[in-house]
Amino acid sequence: MQLINNENENLKQKTVSSLNFLRMKILIQQVTITDPSSPFNGTKQDVLIESGIIKDIQPAISVEADKVITGNQLHLSPGWVDVFAHFADPGYEFKETLETGARAAAAGGYTDVFVIPNTKPVVDSKTQAEYISQKSRSLPVNVHPIGAISKGTEGKDLAEMYDMRTSGAVAFSDGLNPIQSAGLLLKALQYVKAFEGTIIQIPDDKSVGANGLMHEGIVSTRLGLPGKPMMAEELQVARDIKLVRYSDSKLHFTGVSAPKSLEYIRRAKDAGLAVTCSVTPYHLFFTDEDLIDYDTNLKVYPPLRTKSDVEILRQAVLDGTIDCIASHHLPHEYDSKVLEFEYAKYGMTGLETSYSAIKTILPALTESRWVELVSINPRKIFGLDCPVIKKEAQACFTLFEPGVPVTFTTASFRSKSKNSAFTGKTLNGAVKGIINKETLFLN
Amino acid sequence: MQLSVKHLLGIRDLSRQDIQIILDTATQFKEVLQRPIKKVPSLRDVTIVNLFFENSTRTRISFELAEKRLSADTINFTASASSVAKGETLLDTVNNILSMKVDMVVMRHSASGAPHFLAKHIPAAIVNAGDGINEHPTQGLLDAFSMREKLGRLEGLKVAIIGDIMHSRVAMSNIYLLKKMGAEVTVAGPPTLIPKYIQEAFDIRVEYNLKKALEWCDVANVLRIQLERQNQVLFSSLREYSLAYGINKRLLDSLNKKIVIMHPGPINRGVELDSDAADSNQSIILQQVENGVAVRMAVLYLLSGGREMN
Repeated sequence: MQLINNENENLKQKTVSSLNFLRMKILIQQVTITDPSSPFNGTKQDVLIESGIIKDIQPAISVEADKVITGNQLHLSPGWVDVFAHFADPGYEFKETLETGARAAAAGGYTDVFVIPNTKPVVDSKTQAEYISQKSRSLPVNVHPIGAISKGTEGKDLAEMYDMRTSGAVAFSDGLNPIQSAGLLLKALQYVKAFEGTIIQIPDDKSVGANGLMHEGIVSTRLGLPGKPMMAEELQVARDIKLVRYSDSKLHFTGVSAPKSLEYIRRAKDAGLAVTCSVTPYHLFFTDEDLIDYDTNLKVYPPLRTKSDVEILRQAVLDGTIDCIASHHLPHEYDSKVLEFEYAKYGMTGLETSYSAIKTILPALTESRWVELVSINPRKIFGLDCPVIKKEAQACFTLFEPGVPVTFTTASFRSKSKNSAFTGKTLNGAVKGIINKETLFLN
Repeated sequence: MQLSVKHLLGIRDLSRQDIQIILDTATQFKEVLQRPIKKVPSLRDVTIVNLFFENSTRTRISFELAEKRLSADTINFTASASSVAKGETLLDTVNNILSMKVDMVVMRHSASGAPHFLAKHIPAAIVNAGDGINEHPTQGLLDAFSMREKLGRLEGLKVAIIGDIMHSRVAMSNIYLLKKMGAEVTVAGPPTLIPKYIQEAFDIRVEYNLKKALEWCDVANVLRIQLERQNQVLFSSLREYSLAYGINKRLLDSLNKKIVIMHPGPINRGVELDSDAADSNQSIILQQVENGVAVRMAVLYLLSGGREMN
């Protein structure tokens, strides 16, 4: 306990607004509880948290607290989960570290983050998975390693997934190098059944439009940029679903962006297959037309789609076809992004802007649907326990304010990298902070 | 007379009036070039760097000549002889050159959008001398200038662009310009070399049959088969390409009209164009080269802020 305490002291210095509240009393006033499992769901309450445990929930609590939190239409929900982020640690610490990544996650309202294995070395063994679990123990958010499916994410031989699973790997994926070989993916799907594993894939057939830098269409033609046909995604979704049907295993598609993919996934779900999917906030927010200035922050993988595709994608978030929101937080240092479009790296940061981006683009999205997308569903799909807002519960919660505008600037980002296309944008819907483990983190 | 743009990044950004101004200014410069003394002092004390990150002979010479005829000071930079090989970024390279008080940048680069990137980060005026598979605006302008000179108009003209459309920045600039000026455009070539969405993107016609395209057009702008850009298998052999899409005198004579033949150079003789067609009296290929200098003078002159023209 002493050790954890000390580490938290260090953390306090790094994260100005995070407070160690081991013996602190925190009173959250007039907060709307958004938690389908809570007896208080949908009601406005005062919540008292003492030493990280909910001590009381009442319409009005009068008590002397160390910290009183109030807000404008303040909401409290089970902590949010991101299923696909890159913390680049170890190997690319100049882009992000577990500490800075966790800080960005906390600022974005996330208590739990799945980090992809595309580090150096790759997370393809127990040692690497444990490095992440161990090193994250003192951080304000729970960082869960995603283990690689293949050794070195090379798509050839299976990695030791069983061993990684017992060392904390929450799911398996080759991350940014989705498995291309149907044979290998089939073996992986079968293999993980023994230990309740789930495979995550970015659906992309790399052989289609191999040189493509953006979505192939009218805009890519006008911009003179090599296009990647949307079919590259659709082919992979269709194929992978067949593999799931054969293996009777569990597969989660992330970064889904093609309307046809949604159609295939919907059909697979109707047939009772364990196929789920997530979409990124930026695929819902931006379209290929936004690339008109060759903005390298919008060079993402899979590419941004057309206006009409994005419209269909947004509907799928509302109607339940899409299960989760995945930030695809891909931090890159200045020099990887401020150069010719062709040479710029793919991806943008996303943990801090997820909620605001989606709330802005989908004002019709209810708070309870949002909580389903980022808290309930990912926990269900990947088998994590879901915290419930009730008396004596351990704190693992997110505080947010749907009606409050927020402006993102380079200086306001807590991620080590600043490659966000949301820089300078004022969005609607703010994250207030998280309460997790021994830490209260407020923006 | 002023352009609506600070840089010439592409025809895409130009208005119809901008194009008109450039072509009219080029007409005046072409007249200057016929004089015994071809040099004017318009850009005296203006320093221009020609940054060529990709091989070029004719475009570089044409720009250099245009700059010299305008009395500008020029420096040449080619990628092979530079620090790019040492891993310097584009922005560093250009900023280093600009810190030596250079006023304008003429740049060719293999990445689409490279000049647009530069324009966001440096204060100097930029002329795009070709970027990736995006645009080659001065080529588009000199092609239009040559068509207008030969046939007296652009409006209503039927232009067929033939060959590797997919990898051609010349095609892109031509399409943008011709559509803005009211001409009709058909692109023709093997389906593997024609972008899938080009018809919808530009409201133009697509033709896979060479003979049909030639029968339709007034002008055939024949593109170079870019051997260096074929990084995928897009057609089986040069021999077969030539059989299906090569233009020769016999083919031209079989048409019931005399069409104008253009080519941005350098020609692969015997591949896209046979010598008997390239050197025929229907060809204006050498006039294109000549006009290139006048058009580039006009562009540089107009972007330098329109000093006194003499």
